Amino acid sequence: MHYFSQLFHYEHPWSHVVIGMWHKYPNPHCTHVQTIDVLDRSVDPQTGIIRTERVLGCKQKAPGWIVKFFGGSEDAFVREISFVNPATQEATITSVNLSLSQFATCYENIRYSPTTDGRTMFHQTAEIQARMALWRSAADKLENWLVQRFEQNAHLGKVGFTDVLRRLWEAKQQQLS
Amino acid sequence: MANSLTDECTPFKREYDSCFNAWFEGYLEPAVAASPEQRSKYSQEKAAEYERDCGKIWTQYRECVQKAVKDKGLDTLLEQARQENPLKEPPTIPKPDRT
Repeated sequence: MHYFSQLFHYEHPWSHVVIGMWHKYPNPHCTHVQTIDVLDRSVDPQTGIIRTERVLGCKQKAPGWIVKFFGGSEDAFVREISFVNPATQEATITSVNLSLSQFATCYENIRYSPTTDGRTMFHQTAEIQARMALWRSAADKLENWLVQRFEQNAHLGKVGFTDVLRRLWEAKQQQLS
Repeated sequence: MANSLTDECTPFKREYDSCFNAWFEGYLEPAVAASPEQRSKYSQEKAAEYERDCGKIWTQYRECVQKAVKDKGLDTLLEQARQENPLKEPPTIPKPDRT
């Protein structure tokens, strides 16, 4: 497991940053984000909290060995859930990769909150973890399959060679007699 | 505005995004300023306004994007992710050491 964390401030009030959240892409600095779609959105009529579920499509050239080994492609998709709470002035964004998620997860949390001097604090954490348990079970499965194949082949080899020997020596015997 | 998953949905997405952004930009600052007593009434009014203004284009856009999600094979991955972490409530993120 790898952790990542950073914290800094934007020189804009919280409401401007949160309005800006929906205008972040397309962005010439982040050309890997190609598509964004809203899948679900609700405005809570009691609390005023807005929950949004989006899917982001990214193009990221993966190293050849990753594509070969994991069968990935250039297209990678991310699920993103955000909450904007005007009462507490807190906005959170949680993202997790959909692509290659059977092998590893990248779980990211972002929070925007106001500072007392009218700026906005950005706090980002991420956990990146390979799914070792799944690798283990995949490796076990592969091993079991290989053992089975080996046993089968060993058995067939024995049957086959027994046949060859029998035919060879039966023929020789007939010649002799 | 960024593109949608498919070119077919992009016009719907653009119209929906514009609608939401216009609504949200009017919504946010009064929502922040609202007192606890005003909040529920304001939220109710604004939720209804959002539905009224953007509901129709949202339905069209959602229909299009749901099909695109399926065609790209993302529906099962999304379902897994939702099961693993529904995120119906805001996450509790540990506060950083310094503010």
